[in-house]
Amino acid sequence: MQNLLAGIILVLIAAIASLQASELSIGTLRHIGPGMVPSALSAFVALIGVCLIVTWMRGHRSGTGRWPTRGPLFILGAAVVFGLIIRPLGLAVAGPLLVVVAAFASHETRWGEILAFAVGMTVFCLVLFKYLLTLPIPVAPWLIGY
Amino acid sequence: MSNRVFNWFGLISVALVLAAGNAQAQGYPTHPITVIVPFAAGGPTDVIARIVGENMGKTLGQQIIVENVAGAGGTTGITKGSQAQPDGYTIMMGHMGTHGAAPALYKNLKYKPTEDFEPIGLAAGTPIVIVARKDFPAKDMKEFAAYLKANGDKLNEGNAGVGSVSFTSCIMFNVLVGAKPTRVPYTGTGPVINDMLANKLDYACDQIVSVSSQVQSGNIKAYAIATETRSPALPNVPTSTEAGLPEFKVSAWNALFAPKGTPKDVVAKLNDALVKALSDEGTRKRLLDLGGVIPEGKERSAEWLRDFVVTEVDRWDKIIRAGGVVAE
Amino acid sequence: MEDLFANLSHGFAVAVSLENLFLCLIGVVIGTLVGILPGVGPIATIAMLLPLTFNFDPTGALIMLAGIYYGAQYGGSTTAILINIPGEATSVVTTIDGHQMARQGRAGVALGTAALVSFFAGTVATVVVAALGEPLTRVALLFGPAEYFALMVLGLAFAVVLAQGSLLKATAMILLGVLLSTVGSDLETGEERLTFGLAELADGIDFVVLAMGLFGFAEILRNLESPESRNVVKAKIGRLLPNWEDFRQSFMPMLRGTGLGAILGILPGNGAVLGPFASYAVEKKLAKDPSRFGKGAIEGVAGPEAANNAGAQTAFIPLLTMGIPPNAVMALMVGAMTIHGIIPGPQVMTKNPDLFWGMVASMWIGNAMLLVINMPLIGIWVRLLNVPYRLMFATILLFCAIGIYSVNNDPSDVLMTAFFGLAGYVFIKLGFEPAPLLLGFVLGRLMEEKLRQALILSRGDFATFIENPVSAFLLLLSLVVVVVAIVPAIRQKKEEALNS
Repeated sequence: MQNLLAGIILVLIAAIASLQASELSIGTLRHIGPGMVPSALSAFVALIGVCLIVTWMRGHRSGTGRWPTRGPLFILGAAVVFGLIIRPLGLAVAGPLLVVVAAFASHETRWGEILAFAVGMTVFCLVLFKYLLTLPIPVAPWLIGY
Repeated sequence: MSNRVFNWFGLISVALVLAAGNAQAQGYPTHPITVIVPFAAGGPTDVIARIVGENMGKTLGQQIIVENVAGAGGTTGITKGSQAQPDGYTIMMGHMGTHGAAPALYKNLKYKPTEDFEPIGLAAGTPIVIVARKDFPAKDMKEFAAYLKANGDKLNEGNAGVGSVSFTSCIMFNVLVGAKPTRVPYTGTGPVINDMLANKLDYACDQIVSVSSQVQSGNIKAYAIATETRSPALPNVPTSTEAGLPEFKVSAWNALFAPKGTPKDVVAKLNDALVKALSDEGTRKRLLDLGGVIPEGKERSAEWLRDFVVTEVDRWDKIIRAGGVVAE
Repeated sequence: MEDLFANLSHGFAVAVSLENLFLCLIGVVIGTLVGILPGVGPIATIAMLLPLTFNFDPTGALIMLAGIYYGAQYGGSTTAILINIPGEATSVVTTIDGHQMARQGRAGVALGTAALVSFFAGTVATVVVAALGEPLTRVALLFGPAEYFALMVLGLAFAVVLAQGSLLKATAMILLGVLLSTVGSDLETGEERLTFGLAELADGIDFVVLAMGLFGFAEILRNLESPESRNVVKAKIGRLLPNWEDFRQSFMPMLRGTGLGAILGILPGNGAVLGPFASYAVEKKLAKDPSRFGKGAIEGVAGPEAANNAGAQTAFIPLLTMGIPPNAVMALMVGAMTIHGIIPGPQVMTKNPDLFWGMVASMWIGNAMLLVINMPLIGIWVRLLNVPYRLMFATILLFCAIGIYSVNNDPSDVLMTAFFGLAGYVFIKLGFEPAPLLLGFVLGRLMEEKLRQALILSRGDFATFIENPVSAFLLLLSLVVVVVAIVPAIRQKKEEALNS
């Protein structure tokens, strides 16, 4: 299964990339256009994908393991939430929210602990990134204007 | 990330601001001001923004924070700046490319230099110098121009890619002298100088700050500087008028803009701080050290800049058409 | 030679002034800190601190900013080893064996080795900068687009050697990396390539976004799934410092890594990035038992770490002697110099000897400071691994998110990192390794750019790559590297076939 899936994914990526690159001029060897390198690479990637599918057919069938969804959903979800609200609501809201959403990903989470930790970590990050490293991160634009 | 989602969150945040009864309009500025510099940190525009911004911050009593948003010849950062809240807390450093050549170069530009901004004032410019590899067989500008015309695409001109100062100013130069070189794009002027030192490139048009040390130590040749007067940084290089090419006047100017709709009194305060910075001895010395040209008198007003942008957009449109550049 | 000593002692006289020592210390401390923080790199930090340096004299300011740069190289290996996140392109290789060592309870040994070899490499490279700076610059000038392209090909050949599992899959990852590097505006025409019409992709994908996604986020996902593997990390703390045996094993890799890193660091166009990869490939080839690599071989930490730090020092050569910045951090240093009224170029050495030699001397002092600061910290870092993972992963995630946001102050970067986190997770499940992809990505952009420049300059004649001795040699070497990597794999396959 592993090689079959891997091969299919490579072929898919190559197909999408070459579709995207199809509008670009390939140019000539004398003067390479913007489309040549992406198109050529997609072709090679697709070729390797096909090779992987062939190895699967010839019997190299190692498994792919489990595919849990809880981790990816909440970890990546936490990052997405952070990205969506950091500008309008600032780190004061986005920080604790990220920690709390991410906490859903683990079944070892203790809620009292994680809430206190979320607040404490956010304060720590504010001091570290905003005031010590002076990075331009919004703190709480809705409250203090920046 | 679609802008619609951001706008939506923006609306919520505006509502929250109103609900919190935040008194933003009073006593501008009450917190740090962000200047968007549409180029990577360390380049000439960035350095000028930092030098001028530091002094303006002192006048305004609030820190001016430079935020570098590079990409697409500076238009990425200016697009972002033009969509910012017009409250005076986000302003931007536009330049010859973003507010002059960009409309002619980028068909789907998301802003209009002449309409979508409140000009604050001209900051400082850096003159363009025509440089060539050190053994180039021409002793002055006249021979150089003739050689370029005669040899066509046998010659290699290096530039820092579509939309860069070196790219657009060399279009102008090539049109004026009738040169049709092979144009070689790089990702910055550093590698251009490198390959010119290695004799792989024949010539380039670049800002004085990038080339003055190389010219003075004799590693490359300079044929002309595209200003009215000679530069103290390169006193031996003739002006384009002296060299016989008076039409070639181009400087990479930089100017502060606020998004359209920024209150008049806020713009006036910013212009006042800018003018004070340009009169400050320490700031002037820093700008002059890097070969900069400082605007004087009427050139410092916001109105002058508004008219200047109109003439620049028009001028570059003609030049780029004449250069036959088809861009995206 | 006498000149060199006179100059160096002049430099030390400048560098040991109380103010400059203090600025150097501040620089390396901040550098270590931002190196450890995932995402926040020296570029963002130096850009932010530039205004603060207005009030210092130029020499002090540059000593501090340089300290941030090479300090970050030290700090970057710490996160690479402890939590498998490469903060910089140069610490990608350290994750391979360094993190495995940490999982085996040898985090202290790995960190200690990294610190010691970095100090050694930094010392040697400082001497190289001082003694050979000028002549070496002329070597760098030999590298035009054709030679550069050949060097990048060699780099990708190293990536094949890097692979631990299937060569086919590693090659696919390299090519995907190069493909990802083509995303964004085309250099020559400005057309948008593979951007799906998204404005956020118009300027390409940021290295930090890709690295944090493929390594940082994907690593958290993997760890959450298998509590057993990280408990191993927790259970054993082990020795905190390398012992004699570790030192003996690290010694030759350290020497070779220093040499490779120092040479590659001089090349304009970010040659320093190749150093650790080249060193790793060399060590893996020279090892009696290459199968140990990828499973916690100390040589796989010592060599690349030495190369990384040597390259970080010698990268200053093109900047200081010619005024040509070899990478984005050095471009910022150019900005820092111009802000202080010093126009970078060949005249800096003669016009501002204080600055030039003071900076060279401060690099050695800074490296010594880094060693003194970092050795005691190792104990603390290793103990941090004892923090319960349910708190640790949230912390890593928060730091990553803030760090990614601060690279361009762009929230869409955080979303894109989440996407690459998902991709990295799927790739690991399917048996693909992320390291070759990152190398392909880092080298890809430059490779295409140089290929196109070389062909424009040669008017489309491919002979330019062979006629030229340097590029011909490099291309031949690439071929050898690939063949040497592939032959054992094929032989193994044959034996398997015979046995079965």
